[in-house]
This record gives sequence, C-alpha cells and structure tokens, in this order.
Amino acid sequence: MHAADADAQALAPFTTWPDGPAGVALSQLQVAGMHCAACSGLIEAALLKLPGVEAASVNAASARLALRWRPSLVALADVLAALQAAGYRASPDVAAPARELRRQERRQALWRLFVAGFLMMQVMMLATPAYVAAAGELAPDLDRLLRWGSWVLTLPVMAFAAGPFFSGAWRQLRARRLGMEVPVALGIAVTFVASTGALFDPGGALGHEVYFDSLTMFVALLLLARWFELGARHRAADALEAVASSLPMTAERLSDDGSSERVPPEALRAGERIRVAAGEAFAADGCVLSGQGFVNEALLTGESAPVAKAVGDAVVAGSINVDGSLVVAVQRVGADTTAQGIVRLMQQAQSQRSSSSGLVDRVAAGFTAGVLLLALGAGIAWWWIDPSRAVAVAVAVLIVTCPCALTLAAPAAWLAASGALARRGLLLTDLSALERLCATDTVVFDKTGTLSEERLQLCRHWAAEGVDGDALLTVARSLATLSRHPAAQALADGRAGTWTDVREVPGRGVQARDVTGKLWRLGAPAWVSERPDPAARLAFGYGDRVLWLDLAEAPRADAAKAVTALRAQGQRVRLLSGDQPAAVARMAAVLDIAHWQAGATPESKLTAVREWQAAGEHVLMVGDGINDAPVLAAADVRIAMGQGAMLARSAADALLVSNRLMAVPQALALAQKTRRVLRQNLAWAALYNLACVPLALTGLLPPLAAGVGMAASSLFVVLNAQRLAR
Amino acid sequence: MANERVLVASETTAGTTYEDGPVRAFALAAVLWGVVGMAVGVFIAAQLAWPELNFGISWLSYGRLRPLHTNAVIFAFGGCTLMATSYHVVQRTGQTRLFAPMLAWFHFWAWQAVIVGAAITLPMGFTRGKEYAELEWPIGILITIAWVSYAIVFFGTVGRRKIRHIYVANWFFGAFILAVALLHIVNGAVLPVTFWKSYSAYAGVQDAMVQWWYGHNAVGFFLTAGFLGMMYYYIPKQAERPIYSYRLSIVHFWALIFTYMWAGPHHLHYTALPDWAQSVGMIFSLVLLAPSWGGMINGVMTLSGAWHKLRDDPILKFLIVALSFYGMATFEGPLMSIKTVNALSHYTDWTVGHVHAGALGWVGLISMGSLYHLIPRMFGRTEMYSKSAIELHFWIATIGIVLYIAAMWIAGVMQGLMWRAVNPDGTLVYTFVESVKATWPFYVTRLVGGLLYLGGMLVMAWNVIKTVQAGQPERVRIPLVMAHA
Amino acid sequence: MDILYLLIPFSVVLVLLIVAVFGWAVNAGQLDGFENEAERILLDEDQAT
Repeated sequence: MHAADADAQALAPFTTWPDGPAGVALSQLQVAGMHCAACSGLIEAALLKLPGVEAASVNAASARLALRWRPSLVALADVLAALQAAGYRASPDVAAPARELRRQERRQALWRLFVAGFLMMQVMMLATPAYVAAAGELAPDLDRLLRWGSWVLTLPVMAFAAGPFFSGAWRQLRARRLGMEVPVALGIAVTFVASTGALFDPGGALGHEVYFDSLTMFVALLLLARWFELGARHRAADALEAVASSLPMTAERLSDDGSSERVPPEALRAGERIRVAAGEAFAADGCVLSGQGFVNEALLTGESAPVAKAVGDAVVAGSINVDGSLVVAVQRVGADTTAQGIVRLMQQAQSQRSSSSGLVDRVAAGFTAGVLLLALGAGIAWWWIDPSRAVAVAVAVLIVTCPCALTLAAPAAWLAASGALARRGLLLTDLSALERLCATDTVVFDKTGTLSEERLQLCRHWAAEGVDGDALLTVARSLATLSRHPAAQALADGRAGTWTDVREVPGRGVQARDVTGKLWRLGAPAWVSERPDPAARLAFGYGDRVLWLDLAEAPRADAAKAVTALRAQGQRVRLLSGDQPAAVARMAAVLDIAHWQAGATPESKLTAVREWQAAGEHVLMVGDGINDAPVLAAADVRIAMGQGAMLARSAADALLVSNRLMAVPQALALAQKTRRVLRQNLAWAALYNLACVPLALTGLLPPLAAGVGMAASSLFVVLNAQRLAR
Repeated sequence: MANERVLVASETTAGTTYEDGPVRAFALAAVLWGVVGMAVGVFIAAQLAWPELNFGISWLSYGRLRPLHTNAVIFAFGGCTLMATSYHVVQRTGQTRLFAPMLAWFHFWAWQAVIVGAAITLPMGFTRGKEYAELEWPIGILITIAWVSYAIVFFGTVGRRKIRHIYVANWFFGAFILAVALLHIVNGAVLPVTFWKSYSAYAGVQDAMVQWWYGHNAVGFFLTAGFLGMMYYYIPKQAERPIYSYRLSIVHFWALIFTYMWAGPHHLHYTALPDWAQSVGMIFSLVLLAPSWGGMINGVMTLSGAWHKLRDDPILKFLIVALSFYGMATFEGPLMSIKTVNALSHYTDWTVGHVHAGALGWVGLISMGSLYHLIPRMFGRTEMYSKSAIELHFWIATIGIVLYIAAMWIAGVMQGLMWRAVNPDGTLVYTFVESVKATWPFYVTRLVGGLLYLGGMLVMAWNVIKTVQAGQPERVRIPLVMAHA
Repeated sequence: MDILYLLIPFSVVLVLLIVAVFGWAVNAGQLDGFENEAERILLDEDQAT
C-alpha cells in the first residue's frame, strides 16, 4: 500500500486520474531521441504491447507522449524500459497542467473575441441602413426590424464576450478599488440598457437612439487588445516551460570505485560525479571532468546551435548533451540549478506584472472617480437641457474617459521589452528595473566570472635553454587531467596518459610517476623547482626539466565590445574586483577600462558603490553573485550572471543567462526606447482624453465615435508597445 | 491533444482503402460537361454576332441556350469538379474512407440526372426566369435531394476522420455545401402550377432582392468558397510546399464568412431597390476586398522561394494564374459595385467581362489545374499522359481569356458611354441599335477568345482520355500509422 | 421591402448558428494551434494495395 502511495506521489506531477485513484491514469511525458516522422508510430506501437497500457499518443511536433495506462498492471519503470528498448528516453512533463490551463484560457479568450467581432460585423451591417438612408426613406417598421435584429445579435456579446469586464468590475468594487474595469462595465451596461429601452419603448425616458453598433465594436476592440496581451504572456510562459520540464528522469552517478548507479536528479549532491551519455539531459549544474562534445543550451540562450564543451567547461542542468559521453562534477543541484533559478525568477516576474503597475493603477483609480462624477454631472445637466440626450452624453463621457489605454500603457511596453531582452538571454525579474535602467550612468563590473570566463587560460609557456617546452606541455596536459585543481583544469586535455601513484598535495599541486618511474610535479613554481621563475604562475617538471606556465583569465568573447558600446552610450565603466592588482590591471588594460580597483573585499566594494551614489551617480552592478551579494543589493540596478550560485537567493533585477555581456548595453538602449514608447502611449492616452472629453460633454461626440476611439486607443497602445518586442 | 491521432490498442484497420469511385466519376464527368458547357457558350457567342445561327429553331434560340450555358459551366462543370475534389480532399486529409459510398454514387447519378434534365428542359423553354436558378421545380427538388445526399456523405466523412484537426480546405467545402443548400431552398420557394411551370413565392422587387441575395451568394459560396477549398489543397500538393500561412488561411475563411451575406444588393443599383439598400450593398462589397485578397496572397506566396517551379510545371501555371484572375476579379467586383461606376457599367458587356474573368480565369483554370493533378492519381499514375499538352492548353486558354475580357471591357465601357451620351437639348446621341452595331467587332473577338478556350478544353479532354487508357483505377490503402510532421 | 421581414430574422438565426459552429470548433480544439497542419497534407502519397 505504501509503495503504491509513493508511486502515486511520484507520478502526481505529470499524471491525472480522471476516474479516481483506482482507475486509469493519464500521464504526460516528454520524449527524447525522436528524429523522424515514423518515430511516433514506433513509440506508440512499442508501448501498446505492454499490458495495462490502453492508449498511447505521440505528438511528433512537440515530442510529447500522452499515455493512458493502469499503474496497477504495469510499473512506470517498465514503461520507461520499453521506451529505452525502442531507442528513446522520456522525462516527466510536469508543465502539462499549466499548459492545459493556458490552453483553456486561450480558448476562452478566442471564443469571446470571435463572438464580439463577428457579431459586431453583423450588427454594423444591420445598422448601416439607418445611417445611409435619407430622411423618411426607411419605413419605421423596417427601422424597428433592423434594430431588433441588432438587439438579438448583441445579446450573445453581453452574455459571452463582455463577461470579463463585469466580473472584473465586480471584483474591484468589492475590494473597494476603482480600477479601469468599472467605467468600462458601467459604460457597457448603461449603453445596453438605454438602447434596449429605446428599442422597445422609443417614446420613453431612455430616448430613442440605439447604440448596439458602438457597444459591440467597443467590446470587440477591447477584447482584441487583451488577446494580444494574452499572446505575449503565453509566449513567455511557454519559453519558461521549456526550462522547467527539461530535467531527465534519472542520472548515472559514478562512485569512486568505478561502479555506477542510476538515481533521480534529486538524489545528487555537489561533489559527486555523473556520466551523461549522448542524447541525455544534464541532471545538475556542473563542470566537465572528462570527455568532450557538443551541448545544446537552447533553454538558456535560445540558440540551438550546439556549444562545444571540453574539460573544465561549465554545463547547466536541463541542457542536452548532443554527442560524446561526458563525466561531470556536480556543482549545483535542485533548487540551486540555473534552470530552477530561472523558473523561479520568471514566475516572480509574471506575478509582479500586475503590482509593478501600481502607480498607474492608483492614477487610474483617481481618474475613474473623477470620470464617474463627470458623467453623472453631464447626465444631470443634459436632463435639464434636453432629456432625450442625457443618456447618450453620459454614456459617451463614460466610454471616452475610460483609462484603459492608460492602464495598458505600462504593462504592454514592459512585457514587450522583457520579451525582447529574454531573447537576448537577459531575464528580467523586476519589470520596473526598466525604468531604473534609464537613469543609469555608471556600470560596474565584477571580474572573475563576470567579465571573464570562470576558467583560466594558458597564455604563455616557456622553458630554459635546451628544454623542449612544447613536448613538456603535452605531458603536462595529461597530468593536469587527473587534477581537480582549477588552475590545472586550464591545461587538461582529457587524455590521462599512463601515470601512477597520483597524489594531490593541497596548496601545492599534483604529482605522479610516469612509466619510467620518475616523479613529476605540476603546481606552484616553488614546489616544482628550487629556482622558481617569478613570472610563472604554474610550473611542471622533474628535476631540471621544468616548464614554466602563465595563466590568465580569458575575458568573455564580447566583453571588449560591450565595454566599448557602453562607453559610446555615455556610461562610466568601472571594474571592482577582489583579485590581485596584476590580474585586475591586465584585464582592465585588455578591455580598456580606466577606472579599476583590485583587492576589494565585499565591504570595500559596498563602500565604493555608496560613495559613487552619494556623488549622484546611478549605478548598475553586474556580478556573478557569489561574493557580491551585499553590493548587488546596494546598487540601483542589479544584473547577476547566469551561472552564479547565489541567484536562487539573490536580489538581482535581472539574470544574464546567456553570459553575453553585449546584452547589457542592449538592455540600456532598450530601456530608453521603452521609456520613449511608454511616454508616447501615455501622451496619446492623455491627449485623446483631453480632446474628447469636452466633445462628449457638449454632446458632440456620439457613443459610436466614443467607443471606437476608446477601443482604438487601447489597441494603439498595445501595438505601439510591440515595436519593443523585436 | 487536438492534433494527434490516438492509436488505440483495439484498432486494427489494416487493409482499408479510400473510396475513389465517385471521385473518378465526377472528375471525368467534369471534363465532359466542361466541353459541353463551353461549346454551348461558343455557340451563343456566335449567335450574338450572327443571329441567323439560331436557324429559326426555337430550342436553338439565344434566350433558351444562354441559361443552358450558364448552368452547364457552373453546375455541371464547376459542380462536378467541386464534388470530385471535395470527396478526394475530405478522404485524404482525414485519412478515412468516404462515408456511405452507395449514397455518394446515388449523389453522382442524381446530379447527372439534374444536368441532363437541364439540357433537355432549358432548350425546351421551361424556365423560372431567375438567373442561375432557371430550372423548374421538379429539377429543383431533385437538386435538393442530390444536395442533401452530398452533405450527408461529406459531413459524415468529416465525422469519421482519423486526423483530429480538420484541414482548412474542408472548412471551405463545408461552408460551400451548407450555404448553397440554404440559398437554393430559399430562392427556390415556388408555387407550382403545372409540372413544368411555377411562380416564385416572392413578387416584384422583393423577388429581385431574394434573387440577388441568392445570386451573389451563389457566386460567393459556390464559385469562391468552394474553389478556394480546392486551391488550399491542390496548390500545396502540386508545389510540394505547405501553404504560406496556415493561420492566415483560417482567418481568411472566417473573414469571408463575416462579410459575404450582405453584398447582394450591388446587383440592383439604380433599380427599384431603395437607395439605402443599394448603399449597404456597395459598402459591404468594398469590405469584401480585404479577405479575398488575403486568400489570394496566401495561395500565391506558397510558391515563395520556389518560383522556378512555375517555369517547368504547367499545372502550377494553371493554379497560380487562376489566383491572379481571382485577385483581379475580386478587385473589379467591388469597383463595379460603387454606384458611380455602376452607373456606367450596369447592363453593359463589362459585367459579362467581369463574370468571365472570374469564370474562365479563376474557376476554369483552378478546376483544370486541380483535375490535372487529380485525374492521373485516380488511375494509378502521378502524371498526365502528355505534359506538353497541358502546357499547350494553358497558353491557349490564357490567350483566350485575355481576348475575351479585353473585348468585353472595351465593349462595355463603349456601350455605357454611348447609352448615356446626351445632346445639349437632352436627347440621346445614339440609338440603341447604333451601340449594337458598334459592339459587333468585339462580339467577334470574344468569340475567338471563347473558341480558344474551348479548344484548350478539347486538348484537355484528349489528354484525359489518353491518361485513362494508359492507367487503371487502383485501390489506395489508407495509411495505418499516421505520418506525423 | 417587405422581403426583409423574412431575410433579416433569417440572417439573424443563420449568424447565431455560425457562432455556434465556431464555438464547437474552439471547444473541439480545432483552433488550438496549427504547428505542422500545413505540412501534414504533404506527407502521405497514395500507395496502392
């Protein structure tokens, strides 16, 4: 019984039981290894052979397997084994429930949009005769018939399409907030009631004008704007889902005695070693110990062109090993992995979306209150002047002053911009950072892991007269392969050679005997030779035959370009590092950064930043988060590098998962553009209202024009924001 | 899981084949009736230039033969092509056998009976006098029966499809079938008096309104939606490339449905129809331009990146040039629905030119291209007997079309100008007969164009016969394991 | 234009039916997403028995 419960729990994230726990299970899995159209059929056929499998359906386009099966008759392990025998691997599709929800949301939005749009067209057709007919040309009975037709066709719009506005308004009223939905709902309701009254009792108090065409168009255009917004939101969520469902079901853990066992990713710990076969996904963040090959890191960078990985390179959980078997040292597991960090950060960003527009919402609330009073006042005033127009004027005022465009302006712009940045590998967690980026005038970089790759590079090797440096280098590389020391990893080439008696001496290096029994050492120059060359960082040798090595950090490929670009944007660029002055100076020289500080502790970094801020600067800090947490928190805008272990707990505003530093100047440029677009949107919304409100008040603006204008202005704002999405 | 095929353990559909018998039959019938309908057209075109060609025989008179021509080309040629292709496409895209094959055969024979009935009754003078709806009520009832059978077979096949997603072409076919049923029943409402005589249930201008609500929607759903369905399948298949934007094709479909119903009144400008009704018709005819061109662009751009295929493949030439004529006609139509333009064009040969640009250019060419793709495959081959014959057909037909419509444009504008030319004292400058005389050379030119078009059709008939002789009908297996994308 | 007393209610009913058909289409997942639908028809070529 317990085992079954445990099984059910294990299955729960990607399985539903439509007929209750004892019945058939519906599981969603992601399949790997599909390479042709016929694969789906092969997989389905292979699974159907198992007892307990009732139906199997594979969508080749998305590589998803929908399994209808009875866990009591066959174990999941057997299902996976059958798949493996057929040549495929599967992992749980935990994003399925969320995806299903999104699908339902989209279907509902599409249905509402169609109902509103289609019926809007038909109502317009029925309304056109009244507009084009000359006075007296249209018989009153016929006119009434056309209006009746419009009314019937407006009913579904009210019943199906306008629902979200009413429920939204109700929610806002209950929370005693005046949001943008209240005037919209009010406008729709008043228009409908007034028009219905005019239809069935033309001589009555509600006048004799009908506005079914305005009403349906108004609803349709508003829903269209929301449709675009939904699309943007779903695209972001889809991208996220790719990250979330990318972990493999098991990983092959290697033990020190050479044996291996398959364990779930959750069972891995930092320091352990795993072997990742070709086609498998990495179960944890780590660093390559041996082997080389190509890895697909699309989930981070969006690029599916495989990235070459060799010994010492970092790999990320969820990315896929394309070819070649790799042994990886596990560094970060579970919630600490980059993948999970990204998921969490993006979820934060998603939920933050509504709250980050708090300022605008507050403005909208005051605005709405004013609008309602204005409409009421106009209605009353016109009741005195000409009662038959009172309703029309009040409705026109309500509609034309709706702050929809105002409320849509910021989120639309920010969402579009964040989408564009995400494509460049910079994931925003706090959308309001876009505003703060505009004020930035100083960019401060950390060195190791930020401006430079984490791995050291061999920059120079030399030997004394008569010693063959190159041959020694080859030998050095093979010994370096056996060492875990990061400096050695810069040398390692993956070929371990024939060394015996290998010993790591902490603080010194690694030593071993070769086939002839000589003891070679690789490590600190003073330990390898009695006469160390002061220019060397590392030495390799035996007796007199010594090879001197100098290692340096390699700047990231686009670091220089990024610095130049930032300077061109008028930014002050600074380098703050805890490393030795020589190394820092070298990096600063290579990248042409004039202002740098070395030997900085976390406290001194913090002091430096505070000093600059006190001088009136707005600081953007780019760091890898490991020992930069305090200073990251102090900066005005914070970007954490993607591989930083602290990202799960960091307060970064954005995460640079692609490690491409060019994204920083690009983000600054985009932030400026976003602000321009946002201002355009707000200006448009304000101008529109200022122009139209007096017209509505004086009765010169018919509700049709008010509705069209209002909905069109919302649409304009959303579409204008899409310019940022590229 | 909307897109996948669920392979259920108990399903063993090994050995099922498509039912292509009715497809074959309709395809060959289409070619036959194409020749017949176009021959009648050529004959009456000749009569307009040389009225003596009726030889004083009542059943050869223009008034009786014209509806025979229109019914034969629209319902016999066009209808059989639509029926053949829709039955073909619905099976292939759903990967399932035709629903109720016996009913489909009944449908075939009933339809042939309708056509033969038309060929007999129209020259005999039995007519309702309503354009494209001339056939008297007994045949009208037969049409209804045949059409209901068609609907049952088509929608039944859609219902038992193995592919969950309904390919867009089937939406167009489905809308065409349902719309035509509706139109036929509403416009066919009559009070029968004798077996071959009835009176319309509607009278006067009311009848005119119903008639042109029917007429324009017949154009819209029979001649446009139906053939667009054909286009959305056979262009990708022949070009071996997917449709340019599938999403656009769906939007195109719904946009067309949105706007078609109210364009009808544009046929009645400057008649007793109230001004406002005419204006409504004009406005929505103009609105129709957008969805029509959306569809055209979607079809043409399917060849984007593969234009070179047009050089070597005459079937693709038919299909793509058809779309160009579709674009032209759907631009010309709204243009002519504008009241000021219509004041010149109404009742002239410009209208005839417009109709034939759409009929010969769009409907004709897309049908021919589709049949050239379909017929060899119905006889176990992938290509027609003679590719150069197809090429010849294409060029003859295109030249014929150009001659035809150019002649009619010039004639139409000339007629319009002549009829409205007024002397300073208010009298007409020209008598009607003078305009007729002036039109004569254009009638001859049009006849030449029509002869070329008919000639092309005869080349097609020859090619089809040779293809049928060289091949043989084969039973095609329905794929068991769906080829996923 | 008495005929409109027939045509307009008739059109209204027709329009509502069309909306219902669209509702069916959305519900049946026909409009969920079209990846590969355009290619699907190209994949199978007729094979004789």
